[in-house]
Amino acid sequence: MTFIKRQTTVQYHQFCLIRLPSEGIKIVEIRPQGIVKLGKFGTFAVDQIVGFPYGQSFEILDDNNVRPIQGSLVELEDDEQDDSLKEKIQYLRQLDVESSETNRDLVDIGNATQELTQEEIETLKKTSNGANIGEAIIDKLIKSHVNFSQKTKHSQEKYLRRKQQKFLRRFTVDLLGPSQLLQYFLEKDPTKVLDMSEESMGLLLSLANVQPGGRYLVIDETGGVIVNALLDRMRGSGELLVVHENEHPNHSALKYSNFEPSVIDRMVKTINLLQFFEPEDERVQWNDLSQQEIEEMKSSKKAHYYRRRDNAIQINDAIDNAVKGDFDALIIVSTLYTPTLVKKMIAKVGGSRPIVVYSQYKEPLVETQVESMQNLELLAPTLHETRCRPYQTIIGRLHPLMTMKGGGGYLFHAIRVFPLQEGVQAVGRGIKKRKIDDQQSVDS
Amino acid sequence: MSFIGYKDTIGEGDLVLAFLGRDAIKPIVINKEETLNTRFGSFPHAQMIGLKYGTQMASIKGYGFIHLLQPSAELWTLSLPHRTQIVYTPDSSYITQRLGITAGSRVIEAGTGSASFSHALARTVSAEGHLFTYEFHEPRFLEAKKEFEEHGLLGTPVTINHRDVCKDGFEISNYDGDVKATSVFLDLPAPWEAIAHLSQVISQDEKVGICCFSPCIEQVSKTLDALKEYGWTSVQMVEIQARRWEARQQMVRQVDDAVLRLKDVKRRKLEGIERKRRFYAEHGQPRDEDSEQEVEKRKELEKEETKVDRTEFNPFGRGLRIKDGDEAFNWIKVSKTEAEVKSHTSYLTFAFKQATPSSTT
Ligand SMILES: C[S@@+](CC[C@H](N)C(=O)[O-])C[C@H]1O[C@@H](n2cnc3c(N)ncnc32)[C@H](O)[C@@H]1O
Repeated sequence: MTFIKRQTTVQYHQFCLIRLPSEGIKIVEIRPQGIVKLGKFGTFAVDQIVGFPYGQSFEILDDNNVRPIQGSLVELEDDEQDDSLKEKIQYLRQLDVESSETNRDLVDIGNATQELTQEEIETLKKTSNGANIGEAIIDKLIKSHVNFSQKTKHSQEKYLRRKQQKFLRRFTVDLLGPSQLLQYFLEKDPTKVLDMSEESMGLLLSLANVQPGGRYLVIDETGGVIVNALLDRMRGSGELLVVHENEHPNHSALKYSNFEPSVIDRMVKTINLLQFFEPEDERVQWNDLSQQEIEEMKSSKKAHYYRRRDNAIQINDAIDNAVKGDFDALIIVSTLYTPTLVKKMIAKVGGSRPIVVYSQYKEPLVETQVESMQNLELLAPTLHETRCRPYQTIIGRLHPLMTMKGGGGYLFHAIRVFPLQEGVQAVGRGIKKRKIDDQQSVDS
Repeated sequence: MSFIGYKDTIGEGDLVLAFLGRDAIKPIVINKEETLNTRFGSFPHAQMIGLKYGTQMASIKGYGFIHLLQPSAELWTLSLPHRTQIVYTPDSSYITQRLGITAGSRVIEAGTGSASFSHALARTVSAEGHLFTYEFHEPRFLEAKKEFEEHGLLGTPVTINHRDVCKDGFEISNYDGDVKATSVFLDLPAPWEAIAHLSQVISQDEKVGICCFSPCIEQVSKTLDALKEYGWTSVQMVEIQARRWEARQQMVRQVDDAVLRLKDVKRRKLEGIERKRRFYAEHGQPRDEDSEQEVEKRKELEKEETKVDRTEFNPFGRGLRIKDGDEAFNWIKVSKTEAEVKSHTSYLTFAFKQATPSSTT
């Protein structure tokens, strides 16, 4: 079997996700002797985190060193929290008398008292030694914060946490899985992933019944984020035929994939729309030269010959694959007009296999569904929307967050079937036939 | 195996889902001696053998039709016999994605219930992974076990246990090796009682994720306490709001056409009045001495001469039977949510546990 287990520890030559206390995220390549710069959070040597399990948090020390720490970055209530910080929280809790029960008395006297100037922060950074800078800043903030004791205990904690998140020199290293890669692009440039939410990605993968060993027909306009998600569920076995509309596919996001290029080359075949729809005209005519002819070539010419030969084989293989059809799912994430696209591609999908189409907007899928209702090769066309609503998750203060991410996209799903007779509406025909049958039974 | 892997043609002994309608999907096991009887007619299994999955089949009498589908976890969720509340695809797909469950994952699930989520999990972890599922209600345990067996999932990748996980934990004897779960899903009334027993069975070598599925916010509170007590971090509660949209076509009825129609109605009305006026001018008022015959004749004549022709102007096809999308009219495509929207299923509380450093250094 070709099964490839998902990595659980940080390894060289992989990409991983760095989570910062500010909730920012960063993709980092684990290169031997590499140095990672995290801006105000500091810098560290990549070698120091290799071998640790994903999910591990670190504190940045001086000289690019790190120290593994327990617990996560942002949870103040954590038992493993730094003692000094815990003390401060404890202190705050005792301050209950002083902290007003509600925010009623809190007068906002402007930014000046609430924040340190950038200049002050810079000086602090220079004067205190690296590791303690976060706390030094917090102390200074508490002192300079006129309104501090007037805030309620809860908001004081929240305030502290905010400051801590901003300044503590910590980070967590996480697996760069499909959800994380999606999240990275959603934050950087949501249009690149057509605004797809994690919940839409999950629903797509389930509705398409993705699993190891499947052969899937794919259109992916997210630069490979979807292809990577499919590969992640297939883990080494199966095949993707990716149809694209340019001369070459855009798989720029696949460089972050944790599958080796050789695995990707083996599993992902690409073909453009012209080759896909007009395969017989697009086949590359190719005749191998004889061994003798090859040997007589100059080495530069020889290399050229082999490149052209590889290219011809690759294109013809992809075309053969497309002609063969019978794919285990059709997965479309595209801005092409989907009603006609689906209609043109159905023939390549195997019986009883799902067709799943993602669109950032509902309208193209509404049109797809209307068209599908006439199409007897599509069973149970359905338009799904799924949204994840996050809650403020603090014990005793559970409530939906005031804002949530908008958008997230829509999914169309149908099952490919073989109608008994093309163009005949089953129900209509049934009724007519029944009448005749009834008559016959009356007559006889 | 029918849920893991693919098949092209129907064979004896296969599990087939007979699709009669969206809310009527009937699982059948092909036995050439049997016949499927439905409100659409009778369908002998023998005739199904050799057909391609996805084929539409006519009943013996030829007037009813069904589709023969290959089972998938998602279709199973729509067709399974309900023994309990079940987890539906919008929730199960999100939980799978967020916990990073994939081929090779080792998942603990309690309780099994109707095994809706179990099938989806089995498909995703595939033969390389494992699903440990627990059910303390004996009849449900037996039913689920039988299903896994019939569906070719028992053993690989599913192990099912008859066990009260809140009281007796997750350690099992009917599996060779350690559980070493990498993900946990708890769908039972008191997940906080089960959380206490997890540390013995979850993997120490890697980050482990958990999702607790509870309909009430009070349950979430207790779960949060337990998660904190047992060292789970990055806790977040969310809710999945899923809906299905129904697409339709609506006729484009232009206001200008509505105005024109009113004008047309008015014109015809005036024309009628004018014709009446002309008729009376020509024939005068009816006279008392007219015989019954003459009255009838005059009535006929009046009707004939004052009649206004039916209008040709019918921009919205009134009184006609028009099918959605009729090319003689303009249409826009519209959508609305289905008649009944599931607005709350359960709260999903996620948390994670870091690997224990001792095993890494
Ligand atoms: C809502 S159902 C689970 C449904 C399942 N997730 C599905 O998708 O079909 C909950 C199940 O948990 C079982 N259960 C409750 N408490 C349990 C316990 N302590 N140990 C094992 N099973 C338990 C119940 O018998 C019930 O069958």
